[in-house]
Amino acid sequence: MKPAKFEYVLPSTVGAAVAALVASKGEGKVLAGGQSLLPLLNFRMARPAVLVDLNAISGLSYIEERSDRIAIGALTRHRELEQSPLIAAKLPVMAAAMRHVAHLAIRNRGTIGGSLSHADPAAELPMLSVFYDATISVQGPDGRRTIAAEEFFVDALTNCLEPEEIVVEIEFPILQHDGWAFEEVARRFGDFALASIAVSVRPGPAGLKEARVALMGVADTPLRLREAEQELIAMELDNRTPQRFSEIVVSKVSPNDDLHASGEYRKHLLAQLSKRALQTALAAKG
Amino acid sequence: MSSDQRAHLLDAMRPKYVGAPIKRTEDPRLLTGKGDYTADRKPDRPLHLAFLRSGQPHARIAGIDISAAQAAPGVVAVLAADDIADDFKPVIPFSRMPNYYATPIVPLACKKVRYVGEAVVAVIATSRYLAEDALELIEVDYEPLRPIARAEMAVADGAPLLHEEAGTNVLIAREFKKGNVAADLKAAAVRVSGRFEMTRKAPLAMEPRSCCAEYDKRRDAITLYTSSNIPGIVRDAISESLNLPGHRLRVVAPDVGGSFGSKGSLYPEELLICIAARKLRRSIKWTADRLEDVSSSSQAFAEVVDAEMGFDANGVATSLEADVIGDVGAFSIYPWTCGLEPVQVVSFLPGPYKIASYRGSVRGVATCKPPTGPYRGVGRPISTFVTERLMDLGARALGIDPLEIRRRNLVRAEEFPYRIASGIIWDKTGFVECLDAAAETAGYDALRKQQAEARKQGRLFGIGIASYAELTGIGSRISAAPGMPINTGSETAKITIDSTGSITAAFGVASHGQGLETTLAQIVSDDLGARFEDVRVVQGDSDEVPMSTGTYASRSAVLGGGAAKHASKLLQEKIKRVASHLLEANADDIEVHDGNAVVLGTDRAVSFKQIAKAVYSDMKTLPVEAREELSASYTYDPINGTTAAATHIAAVEVDPATCFVKILKFVVAEDCGRIINPMIVDGQVHGGVAQGIGAALFEELIYDDDGQLLSASLVDYVIPSAPEVPLMDVVHVESESAVAGGFRGMGEGGTIGAPAAIANAIADALSPLDIDVSILPMTPERIFRLIEQAKLKAKGQADD
Ligand SMILES: Cc1cc2nc3c(=O)[nH]c(=O)nc-3n(C[C@H](O)[C@H](O)[C@H](O)COP(=O)(O)OP(=O)(O)OC[C@H]3O[C@@H](n4cnc5c(N)ncnc54)[C@H](O)[C@@H]3O)c2cc1C
Repeated sequence: MKPAKFEYVLPSTVGAAVAALVASKGEGKVLAGGQSLLPLLNFRMARPAVLVDLNAISGLSYIEERSDRIAIGALTRHRELEQSPLIAAKLPVMAAAMRHVAHLAIRNRGTIGGSLSHADPAAELPMLSVFYDATISVQGPDGRRTIAAEEFFVDALTNCLEPEEIVVEIEFPILQHDGWAFEEVARRFGDFALASIAVSVRPGPAGLKEARVALMGVADTPLRLREAEQELIAMELDNRTPQRFSEIVVSKVSPNDDLHASGEYRKHLLAQLSKRALQTALAAKG
Repeated sequence: MSSDQRAHLLDAMRPKYVGAPIKRTEDPRLLTGKGDYTADRKPDRPLHLAFLRSGQPHARIAGIDISAAQAAPGVVAVLAADDIADDFKPVIPFSRMPNYYATPIVPLACKKVRYVGEAVVAVIATSRYLAEDALELIEVDYEPLRPIARAEMAVADGAPLLHEEAGTNVLIAREFKKGNVAADLKAAAVRVSGRFEMTRKAPLAMEPRSCCAEYDKRRDAITLYTSSNIPGIVRDAISESLNLPGHRLRVVAPDVGGSFGSKGSLYPEELLICIAARKLRRSIKWTADRLEDVSSSSQAFAEVVDAEMGFDANGVATSLEADVIGDVGAFSIYPWTCGLEPVQVVSFLPGPYKIASYRGSVRGVATCKPPTGPYRGVGRPISTFVTERLMDLGARALGIDPLEIRRRNLVRAEEFPYRIASGIIWDKTGFVECLDAAAETAGYDALRKQQAEARKQGRLFGIGIASYAELTGIGSRISAAPGMPINTGSETAKITIDSTGSITAAFGVASHGQGLETTLAQIVSDDLGARFEDVRVVQGDSDEVPMSTGTYASRSAVLGGGAAKHASKLLQEKIKRVASHLLEANADDIEVHDGNAVVLGTDRAVSFKQIAKAVYSDMKTLPVEAREELSASYTYDPINGTTAAATHIAAVEVDPATCFVKILKFVVAEDCGRIINPMIVDGQVHGGVAQGIGAALFEELIYDDDGQLLSASLVDYVIPSAPEVPLMDVVHVESESAVAGGFRGMGEGGTIGAPAAIANAIADALSPLDIDVSILPMTPERIFRLIEQAKLKAKGQADD
């Protein structure tokens, strides 16, 4: 289980990294934390001719507050997000989700840019990015552009980047909410989710004024359930709301069977988690 | 975490080292990265080997084109079956069992491939990277044959044959019978039955299999370092196959990072690497990657058992009947044969119980999968699962408490030795004592109350018990695997005091994590009268003793320990004789302890160092005839071996929201005879239970209907990690066995009891929903489906 031969470059700027990708003529691949890419290389399922290592580029790892948003550099490690007081204060759903990302050793290496680019449908950061309506800044030969998180994820393990583009920053709008919840079930602690949901609510004069719902592990990409959000806002709040909400959520998905869980079981889990998550979020809104 | 109820021995009578919780001497090295594993070997300019493995489950090899690979950078040789045909004799896993076909073992697939993962071509290059590059250039022309992915497919009419010469896919068939089962079942007050299944497992040692063949040009000799627990067997088999005498073939198992059975058989790769080293006259290294390890190391279980048990009205089990079909994979393994696992299931099904009549029949059938082989517990994890489920079903049908029904059926202290219905003889062991100790430690009555409370709240809380017995440390009268021609009944210890007064104790047994360097040194120190720190244990090296078969079947403490005791005593006699000259005292008046020979009741003493000097160096002190070499060797054979037993109790809760099982309590009360090192015993129990939790809740090798392995990586083959293993209470019921030292084997028991106890606990938890547990692992997916079916059934009944 050794990778096929590749050239290795270690650029010190994003521009040089993009240039290396361009020079590789579509045969290049970016290396960040390596936690997903190295197994693919070793299985020879990925065989880039050139490996462009981002780890020597300074200024790609940061967590900054910019008025109503939090900007995160692409090379920021999972562990930094998990431990950041700023994230805990401003993006509490992310803070709650990060401890479910893999194991400590992997969180020490894995990066947000790598996680988004890898686009695993059961990974936390892609789901959080659609939950928060994040914008993803990427740099390519023609300069920078931004991509809305929901546009970014195309299919399982497939993003919308051009081969010469590199994710450089992700901006998360600070979400105003009164109650929120993050629920996840994985086979073992740290495994990829079998099903997971993030919910947040803002109460209005009657019922809810705003609601957000995002899922992972139940489709080929993370899902933002905008319809369900509207239906939840339209609902009258009573003690049957969580149950009705969970039925709505489950009606929006048709997960596939795989080795770890059948689609039916994932739907069952999602129903339980949706109910629990909304209960928690509503209870916290006060 | 563990309590100690060893009431039987007075503390004052305890030997100094045996019984003491001495820290493992191997741990500082192993835990700080200073272990010396096979892959750490650095022979002179080694070559590296990579295997092209079959991606086909069953196919004829029409042709192999290696020309491009031969021309690839760094490649030294490319070998396929035809290239080595004259370099070895196939190894035959012979057995005297009737109705058995021994599939020959060859280093590389010849004419046909029979499972995905079978080695077809070997590339030897200057680096593993280049070797793997060259693998991609090899073209194998396969003509696909119909795959046999399941045992049922193998015995279906018109099934293709995996081994045409065998004339059948049933490689082994056997039946055990006692009494009139049919009549007893008919007469039974209650009959319970089921179809039980344990799916396929990977033993999954942390260190994958690894070999390093170090070639000595001057002597055309090979030292094979191999990550094995049977270096002696490997030596003898390769010697025979390659016609390489023992003085030119040494097989060493250095530090070995776990086996769990996967390193306990001869492997084609071990033959191939020696053949290649000899052909190329170079040293060669190979370490399996995880994919190779999971898809080509011997696998476990894969049995379906149809079983029925009859009880009289008092809850006494009278009769047991079982038909077992084992999916043994593509080959019979050496030396254990493909009968090892499935035949063990039928021979142990009656378990520790006095069931009068029995019929157990077994078929081991060939399928397109890697061979099954030894796996911690061999056969007994399943036989215990089946028998303990039936006990609980009987208890339920009769309205008797599961604890009580076991008490009514276990062999009692006064009834040993006891021959169970399958013919196995249990020597005196604390069966009932373990049951009672486990119940007491678990707080069984309180647990039942807790369960009643939980049920009132609608919670799914269950308690499961499993009692079992196993044969350990077996001697020459019983074969470790049925009808096998090699001797697994003895082990040798050779103990030497050198000219510096230091002690080297050499064994053929081979630790792969058990801590034998510590426990054997404890025994030698006590029986020789040495200081623990002066004893070095050498093991796992075929050059150290004339013959050995290694470490497996819970034998090393009993056989290695027994040999150590006898050899130590012989050497101590020599020490006394020399000391009697030096101290001018009668040998009978001399006592040996702490590395000194002392005249009883005096302060006159000589140290081992002084004794060694007198014997070896200072030619003035002793008469010539008294200069006996300070060395003793003993080959110990316990003849029958001894029983070990335990009761496991698990309390679990099933969360209906997630369908996950949480283990709330786990208690083991075990009788391993005299304990050599309580910390090591606890560690073995903890590890064994963790492995049993894997079998009960997580681990499953999934092959599709085409024989492709779907769970080949650790993302898909799910094993318990630390958070999934609960704290457990281990209680020791220390009843001494009849073998030397009073030891019993205890390395496997954790894995035998845990799956059954957890299965019973889950069944108990789900009993309000009328759900039965008959397949392991009980994954969340399976529990989900069982609950859904139960809901549908309940709804159907309500609708009627
Ligand atoms: C055992 C295990 C368990 C795991 N469990 C989880 C889990 O529960 N939840 C979870 O979310 N993740 C999990 N992961 C994945 C982990 O979070 C990875 O770190 C993450 O998916 C990839 O990040 P990375 O920085 O390591 O990326 P890499 O492995 O370096 O790269 C991954 C991919 O992204 C591309 N890439 C990387 N950075 C960029 C960039 N800046 N711009 C463009 N492309 C880029 C690479 O070219 C590659 O294709 C697990 C991993 C392992 C090994």
